[in-house]
Amino acid sequence: MLKPSIPSFWAVLPFLILFLFLLPVLIVLFSLFSGYSENWAHLYNYVLVDYISNTLYLIIGVSLTSLLIGTISAWIVTNYDFFGKRFLEWALILPLATPPYILAYTFTGFFDAYGTANNIIREIFSLDQSFILFPNIRNIYGAIVVFSFTLYPYIYLVSRAAFLNQSRSILEAGRMLGLNQYEIFYKLSLPIIRPAVIGGLMLVIMETISDFGAVDHFAIQTFTTGVFRTWHGMYDLTTAMQLASILLIFVATFVWIEKTSRKKALYTSGSSTFKPAKKIKLIKMKAVIAFLICFIPILIGFILPITELTKWAINYNLTFFDEKFLQAAMNTILLAVAAGILCASIALIINFSIRFNKNRFSNFLSSFLSLGYAVPGLILAVGIVQLFALIDKNIFINTDIILTGSLIGLIFAYVIKSYALANSTFESGFQRISFHLDDSARTLNSSGWNLLSRVHFPLLKTSFLTSILLVTSEVVKELPATLILRPFNFDTLAVSTYIYAAEERMFQAAAPAIAIMLVGLIPIILLTKMISSSRPMDK
Amino acid sequence: MSKLQKLMTILYIVIFSLSSAFAEEVNVYTSRHYDSDDALYSEFTKETGIKVNIISGNGSALIERLKVEGKNSPADIYFTVDAGNLWKVQKDGYFKSINSESIKSVVPKNLRGPNDEWVAIAKRARVIYYNPNTVTANEVNNLSYEDLARPEWKERIAIRSSSNMYNQSLVASLISNHGIQTTESWAKDFVKNFARNPQGSDRAQIVAVANGEADIAIANSYYIGIMLSGGSGDDQLQAAKKVKMHFPNQGNRGVHINISGAGVLKNSPNSENAIKFIEFLLSKKVQQYMVNISFEYPVIDGIDPHPSIANFGTDFKEDRTSVADYGKYNPDAIRLMDRAGWK
Repeated sequence: MLKPSIPSFWAVLPFLILFLFLLPVLIVLFSLFSGYSENWAHLYNYVLVDYISNTLYLIIGVSLTSLLIGTISAWIVTNYDFFGKRFLEWALILPLATPPYILAYTFTGFFDAYGTANNIIREIFSLDQSFILFPNIRNIYGAIVVFSFTLYPYIYLVSRAAFLNQSRSILEAGRMLGLNQYEIFYKLSLPIIRPAVIGGLMLVIMETISDFGAVDHFAIQTFTTGVFRTWHGMYDLTTAMQLASILLIFVATFVWIEKTSRKKALYTSGSSTFKPAKKIKLIKMKAVIAFLICFIPILIGFILPITELTKWAINYNLTFFDEKFLQAAMNTILLAVAAGILCASIALIINFSIRFNKNRFSNFLSSFLSLGYAVPGLILAVGIVQLFALIDKNIFINTDIILTGSLIGLIFAYVIKSYALANSTFESGFQRISFHLDDSARTLNSSGWNLLSRVHFPLLKTSFLTSILLVTSEVVKELPATLILRPFNFDTLAVSTYIYAAEERMFQAAAPAIAIMLVGLIPIILLTKMISSSRPMDK
Repeated sequence: MSKLQKLMTILYIVIFSLSSAFAEEVNVYTSRHYDSDDALYSEFTKETGIKVNIISGNGSALIERLKVEGKNSPADIYFTVDAGNLWKVQKDGYFKSINSESIKSVVPKNLRGPNDEWVAIAKRARVIYYNPNTVTANEVNNLSYEDLARPEWKERIAIRSSSNMYNQSLVASLISNHGIQTTESWAKDFVKNFARNPQGSDRAQIVAVANGEADIAIANSYYIGIMLSGGSGDDQLQAAKKVKMHFPNQGNRGVHINISGAGVLKNSPNSENAIKFIEFLLSKKVQQYMVNISFEYPVIDGIDPHPSIANFGTDFKEDRTSVADYGKYNPDAIRLMDRAGWK
């Protein structure tokens, strides 16, 4: 009997939540309506072309490389059986624990002219000091490698899930029509998983363009380094925010084009009866090749950085692992888990209400909030600080509540920054639930909270956990762009890493950096456990 | 439903962190961080009973936080490694004059704000490193920054990107002395002399010279101290042993000096404690302690830099260009470097 009021609640709630979290992003975008300084003429005349072309090269290079790594490795581990497959299947997501900037630092330490790699080669072949095998990696190609090998797990994760869900009948039909294994991969399987893969690819692209640490270390002038140059050096925050806004609009256009092109085709699986595909057993050379293809990404994205860091830490600074470390680790974990739960809950409610209410506006806002992932952290932090100061000055005037400098700011930033991760997980999660189920539930008078908690949530538990874990691992490694939002004396692991890395003391930064990777491993290992239990045919 | 709501409520309670209420405290926003900082702060607390609260972060971002916090800002001190940021805070009127005779008496005028809005805590020189095997004594004799634009240095110089604030300050100091036009034509020729695309840190430039990728490099003075201490690995130690240091512009205005500095904020709730803290940082004991760890130069008399830095010479001429000019000309410096094609 309360029915009329329920839909309106589900229309208003997502709108309110989304609007609240969108405010800092809107503050950044509003810079577009303030004046344009003379620095624009300078940027246009001298550097903008470089910023744009470098950013585009980076996006194209990282997209292609991470797509190759992510989809091929996922294809191999889901369709073939060979030595080490069980290990590779979960180890392939380990590089998610490596922040790109840390891989960039260890890469230069390892591949530099007189770094570990070249030293080893010289030693083995007793070559002259002037012999340099590995080329200079402090350039755009190096950056492409760094981003691809730390971010491909986003594509691997979705591809693997999609390949697993592919009905065997399609593949069998392909085989009957005379396609070989390679043709089945790129003519059949790949096109079918396209929407899922593009979702993962968007995450990769957004993280790539918002990054500052790695590109700055390689001295590549991208849009984001331009943002910080303009702000920190020319003291022109407005122009910096305008630059960041243009970047956002570019990403938004990209997302929009992708979504509209997807609308034309419907990607629903024909039947819900799952017939596990029979895996092909590989032996000898083929097994070795399959193993190497899947192992190299793990080697570069995880084993190499953690080995190099361990070497540095042992040689230099192990005193970090004292009480201060415990406190910082605790703070990091608490923050990350809180942000993870909050982010997952919000994404669940939003996606449910979009489905329940078919609200296109909420859907639009939700995609919009996903763009938060592409906002450079420090710029987002400025948006939040400005928002909180407004609230403190106008709403909490006579209270002791001060938002600025509270942990709320940090959580707020993390939710905006990683909503895209939770949202994309739930989007695909909800896609897998048939609308017939909703209709059946409705005939049983289940709707609103009841439908969500009794029908959808049980089916989406995996999505919920995956969201929490993805967000958690992101928050742990977040380069503390959000540093300035924190309360006094509140340290996280990323803070400890940053304060050394900012002064180029990577040897001292090594210990906290290892800690980041280790703590980041916790959610990832939990994720891998879910992955290995998500293969019905293995049970 | 109720479970979710309960969870949210608990979260919000957890999230609201209650700042510990100390009777005597000083709140510092800093972009300068050293291992030894904690020891320093607890020593200050031990001596005075004043607790030191820290937020460390990017200098520009901290300024933004200061601005929006306005009158409600808890910050007492802004401490940074970049003279430009000090100038910025000063220009926007967020500092107040530091009324301390003891500070004025120990720190020279060019290392303080025009109206004592801020004061230098430590200083560093931006020097030339060279490889004695490929660069003759004659070539470095009396070498200045200006000379590095000459054709004989073609493809011999290593220096990092123009995004780096130390390079921006250096170019700003050249603008302050020669004006934009002269500096720009200098920069255009200087860029032609780069041995490789600007990349990596200051230390990477020193390593490039040691390895023969370049003949000379421009980098800050204290990095050689860190490298020689072995604290950054054996490779860097060996590299550091291969290079020599030269103080440029000894024939005229002196080597470019940059500072770490601090100022007391206008809305500081504990300004007396803030001044005590700055006086503490400028005391002989603390200055000696700081320079021994950071390999910087002290700002007060009667303190020796760390021996591994002092070995390169302490009796050099310093550029007396007002440090505040670095901030003033910083935007011009960036635009100029962009025009000159300094990546």
